[in-house]
Amino acid sequence: MSETSVIEVEGLTKRFGDTVALGDAALRVDRGEIVVLLGRSGSGKSTLLRHLDGLETPTSGSVRVLGEEVPSLTGRRLRALRGRIGFVFQQFELVPSLTVLENVLTGSLAELRGPRLGLWSYPKRLKLAALGHLDRVGLLDQAYQRADTLSGGQQQRVAIARALMQEPEILLADEPVASLDPESSAQVMALIREIALDAGLTVVCSLHQVDLALSWGDRIVGLRHGAVVLDTQASGLSKAEVMEIYGKVVTSTTELSAIEDELTDAASVVEPVR
Amino acid sequence: MSPERIAASLTLVLIVGVAAYAVAESGISIPALFESWGNAERFFERVGGIEFPPAAELAQLTALTLGIVISGTVFAAVLSVPIAYLAASNTTPGRGWQAFGRFVTVLTRAIPDVVLAMVFVLMFTIGALPGILAIGIHSIGMISKLFADAIEQVDEGPRLAIRAAGGSKLQEFTSGILPQVLPSWVATVLHRNDINLRGSVVLGYVGIVGLGMEMSFAFKSLNYSEGLGIAVVMFVLCVLMEIVSSVIRTAMLGVAPSGRGLGDRMVRGVANARARRSGGRGVSAGERIETRAGLDTPRPSGNEPHAASDLHAALRRPWTSTHIRDTAWGWTALAVVVASVAVCDIAWGDLVTFWAKVPEIAMKFWPPNFGSYDAETMLSAMGETIMIALAATLLAVIVSIVVGSLAARNVAPNGTVRGGFRLLLLVVRGIPELILAIVLIVITGLGAQAGTLALAFGGIGLLGKLIADSLEEVSAGPERAVRATGATRAQVYASATVPQGTRALIGHSFYLLDTNIRAATILGIVGGGGIGYYLLNAGQGSNYQVVTSIVFMILVTVLIVEGIAVWMRRVFR
Ligand SMILES: Nc1ncnc2c1ncn2[C@@H]1O[C@H](COP(=O)(O)OP(=O)(O)OP(=O)(O)O)[C@@H](O)[C@H]1O
Ligand SMILES: [Mg+2]
Repeated sequence: MSETSVIEVEGLTKRFGDTVALGDAALRVDRGEIVVLLGRSGSGKSTLLRHLDGLETPTSGSVRVLGEEVPSLTGRRLRALRGRIGFVFQQFELVPSLTVLENVLTGSLAELRGPRLGLWSYPKRLKLAALGHLDRVGLLDQAYQRADTLSGGQQQRVAIARALMQEPEILLADEPVASLDPESSAQVMALIREIALDAGLTVVCSLHQVDLALSWGDRIVGLRHGAVVLDTQASGLSKAEVMEIYGKVVTSTTELSAIEDELTDAASVVEPVR
Repeated sequence: MSPERIAASLTLVLIVGVAAYAVAESGISIPALFESWGNAERFFERVGGIEFPPAAELAQLTALTLGIVISGTVFAAVLSVPIAYLAASNTTPGRGWQAFGRFVTVLTRAIPDVVLAMVFVLMFTIGALPGILAIGIHSIGMISKLFADAIEQVDEGPRLAIRAAGGSKLQEFTSGILPQVLPSWVATVLHRNDINLRGSVVLGYVGIVGLGMEMSFAFKSLNYSEGLGIAVVMFVLCVLMEIVSSVIRTAMLGVAPSGRGLGDRMVRGVANARARRSGGRGVSAGERIETRAGLDTPRPSGNEPHAASDLHAALRRPWTSTHIRDTAWGWTALAVVVASVAVCDIAWGDLVTFWAKVPEIAMKFWPPNFGSYDAETMLSAMGETIMIALAATLLAVIVSIVVGSLAARNVAPNGTVRGGFRLLLLVVRGIPELILAIVLIVITGLGAQAGTLALAFGGIGLLGKLIADSLEEVSAGPERAVRATGATRAQVYASATVPQGTRALIGHSFYLLDTNIRAATILGIVGGGGIGYYLLNAGQGSNYQVVTSIVFMILVTVLIVEGIAVWMRRVFR
């Protein structure tokens, strides 16, 4: 086990009934790396990310994150680990009726004991920190607005501020821009990268757009049917090469053309804002 | 049709048949009604108008009644949070806990607050506490049931986000779920508070201080003028409370809740009506559009961060109109609750000392028996109660279909008709059926007829509105299709609107039957016929073992009806 690895996944298999979501998947990520998980819908990206945060228990295999064997953790120790890992979701998952500021503050719950409801229930120190993170994502002026009054792009930036509130060492992002228009997408992706570089964060971000993945990530990990079929540095890699590498793991030509189709339509899909 | 559906249909037909028989048996007829109108005139001649207690006394009694009701509701509201947490399938810590939560929900709902009050009056010094506890414990059931339903419908996403950030189970609930269900919780609590105020009169008959007790004394001493005066005061209070709570529900909550619970439905109805009146511009929608426009111009990345002093300045929340409004509502609510508790002048010491009396008093209630009554008398009294509920429900359903349809936008011939019938329903809903029953009984004499009429009348207010709302909610497509064939208004109604609304009608009717069974059991206490009369007698004659057997009969009946209601709603969904 290398000392620089913050994520070490080996032989990870996850079944949901008859569906094999992950089949013997392996992944190793070093501190400070910015990794893109690429794969089509149903390839297992979300399932893999959820395992890293202990939101899913493996059927078999090992998941080590920040030196901890995740599936073996429970209670306080699991929560402590989750506190060191930020998670950004496709649908933002803010609490709609709370203010933006309080949503950001929920990122600090791991270090607080007991229930919190209302801004007054958080210490001033944390409120200042939260305002600082909101400023970082450019939303200080919206701090006291209800979260559901913001646009999709703004909401995702609030979610990023919430993750920053955890002062995480790892940032996981599950298709963070799949629900956004192209302009907001670009902003959000740029913001994530910038913050990651500033803070030396390790990032694992799933995407389904090949072009975006190539231009944004340092390293591309391709998933297909729950297995890692591609793992390479992104620099200098072209879309055609990605497809070619995908091609090496399949045998028949029909399957190859199916991949071509999936990569093209994955690249062209821009899902509408929720 | 599945066998289950056939069975359910047969049961439905059977119930309607029995209800029709009950209506026929009750002897309610139009000529009789006119005759009793004559009775009423003669009665008022004899009594010589109504009288009120002295103003100071009246004010004090009113404050006490409101205090007891509000304190009781708040007590239930607080306790319902943990109960709902246990009972909701997505928050419960385990199957055993869930069963326990559901059991508490069903049990507290099934035991009438009057019975609880009877028991508590024995355990506490005379005062407000027995009333508060009786109202509180009985209300836990309904509030936590609707609250658990709301919890089961929340968006799980925010909660997952909090879990992913390392939040505990409790934090997931308080930060991720509670804010989402708070509006529906407030709506349910306000709705329950209305119900509790209406029901508080009967508590006076079993020894709970306040307007109800004063009224029962007045009637017992044949001081009809003052009794009716207090009844009028109760009427007015109930109507005012109904108005206040619906104003709060719409104004404070702002956003129309999206749950399917009864409370939510009601709030949504009011909010929709408001939105329609203000030209289709809902409060929240308006705000949302304003903030969306133009604000989505984030500073480019690499922007200048604000200075630390700016962040300190931002700690102070600006006094926007929303913030002022929320704060004002919050403090007002707190003040009302504190004042309610204060006015009750609770003998807190009782809460410590009463435990010592529990075993002794519990012994008095065990084992259950029928005392000097024979089983047949008791069973037929219970039967009479059931018949009252069935007859009242059927009468209410028939009238509500007409009134409710005419109050629905897509059925009413024009806006004036619709508005008129909506107003009628609002007024009817404001009149507490128990007080109506008392007045009817005083005027026309004891008996099941007065009780049936009062319950039927109250049912129209509730059911008519629910029918109007669900007819307005049916999809417009089929209506348009039938209209396109050149059908008349009546034909559209019969072949497109009604078929779509039938399921909702069955569901709502059983909800009403469920409510009516509970209401009918206590009607007898004020003289409206059925088992309640024996319950009051047994309580006042200290035949507590008889009280226990009557409570068991009521429990069994209520649970059976509730079981049938749940089944019907599931099958005809
Ligand atoms: N909770 C679950 N229960 C049952 N099956 C599941 C569950 N979660 C995931 N799956 C299945 O596992 C497989 C992988 O799903 P996963 O969500 O990880 O894919 P994904 O790559 O994230 O897809 P998408 O791009 O659509 O988000 C799919 O076949 C999915 O249906
Ligand atoms: Mg996914």
